[in-house]
Amino acid sequence: MSRIDEITRYVVAEFAPDIRADELDADYDLLDNGVVDSLGLLRLIGWLGERYDLPVDDIDLAPEQFRSVRAVDAFVESALVKGPAL
Amino acid sequence: MIGWTDEQRTLRAAAAELGAAVGKDHLERDATGEFSRDGWALVRESGLLGLPFGTEYGGLGADLLTTMYVLEGLGEACRDGGFPFSVTTHVVSTGVPLHRFGSAELKARYLPGVCSGSAIGAHAISEPDAGSDMMAMRTTAVLDGDDYVLTGSKSFVSNGPIADTYLVYARTGKAGAPDAITTFLVERDSPGLHVGQPMGKMGLKTSPLSELFLDGVRVPATRVVGKVGAGFLVLDHVMKWEILLSFVVNLGEMEHRLRESVRYARTRKQFGAPIGSNQSVSNKLVDMRIGVETSRKWLYDTAEKLVARKNVTTDIAITKLVVSEANLASALAAVQVFGGYGYMTEYGVEKDVRNAVAGTIYSGTTEIQRQRVAAMMGLG
Repeated sequence: MSRIDEITRYVVAEFAPDIRADELDADYDLLDNGVVDSLGLLRLIGWLGERYDLPVDDIDLAPEQFRSVRAVDAFVESALVKGPAL
Repeated sequence: MIGWTDEQRTLRAAAAELGAAVGKDHLERDATGEFSRDGWALVRESGLLGLPFGTEYGGLGADLLTTMYVLEGLGEACRDGGFPFSVTTHVVSTGVPLHRFGSAELKARYLPGVCSGSAIGAHAISEPDAGSDMMAMRTTAVLDGDDYVLTGSKSFVSNGPIADTYLVYARTGKAGAPDAITTFLVERDSPGLHVGQPMGKMGLKTSPLSELFLDGVRVPATRVVGKVGAGFLVLDHVMKWEILLSFVVNLGEMEHRLRESVRYARTRKQFGAPIGSNQSVSNKLVDMRIGVETSRKWLYDTAEKLVARKNVTTDIAITKLVVSEANLASALAAVQVFGGYGYMTEYGVEKDVRNAVAGTIYSGTTEIQRQRVAAMMGLG
């Protein structure tokens, strides 16, 4: 399974259990459309940190990085490549 | 169990000495609700305010665990519960977010004042209609040229009456959205900023609190702390530090209270025997001890996990809930152990109950912490 598929499955399972994973477009705005709220954002960041071993407390976080599944995937890629922004 | 070095023990002993000096007239100042300016002068001299910040800003560069250990010592020795609260509020409200999220320019300009204590810090988050539900805040920040214009009001601003710099959280996006809040550094003398009168309260009376009114306050865009829209994430980071630093002070207070309660229960005789020989009394003291040990484990285990860059969102909520409730239970138990003396203001025992109630409310109420844990379990 690709990383973007894995993120999609997590988002659907945790925040949109009424739809199937293949129904969630990777560019769908998760924040503006209320799929992920503020506490949901913390859950998502926590999951990403543990799943991909990211030092989330050291990375310069911004909500834009979690606006869509594609944005989340890009955030993980960037964090893995660059490492923490200390 | 953490093994503390001689250097760490020396720092803690210095903080305890400072706390004892500041707390000398705690009963008189609790009665009048007076912040200790003399105490602030002492704490400035001690370097305590810059403990966790870089030496390039005038700090001591201590790690999180050392900072907590030293503050625990302050709490154990200082009978004025409001004073350490003002100290930790100062450190976490402005210093912690600036250190983590501030631009190089903001750090260079403001962190030295945080470390030296020349500029007292506060943060303005709660509003009349948005307490625990911070995403419902109404204070807005609208970009106008190179400035943001802040309009609204804030309630329950700890250190508000005495602060020089405020970290103000305001709405820059769609109400309720997780990217709607931004953090701004606002100086006290900004035109349009009005600081309310100190408000009377149940406990922590020596730590002044007020409302804050923002009437078209212009704040340069360069004074945004963190990214625009990242206020919720800034606050999440601040809350982790606030809970660890503020409540480790409570751990120190609980240790002192337990020691005094045990001493009293062993020496106070009724019916020819120490009152502590009665199980109904000794059980209270055992529960106080369990509260101390449980609080210590949650505080330092969570801090170690945070330092190890693990996700502590659930741990921090549990820590806050456990320690604040243990502190309140401990304070109530102490009043019972001391009996009539515990109830009288002149012995300073009842004051701890009033102070401890605050801990179950600020930094997220007990109820909100349970809700947060439930949310992290996928339940809400």
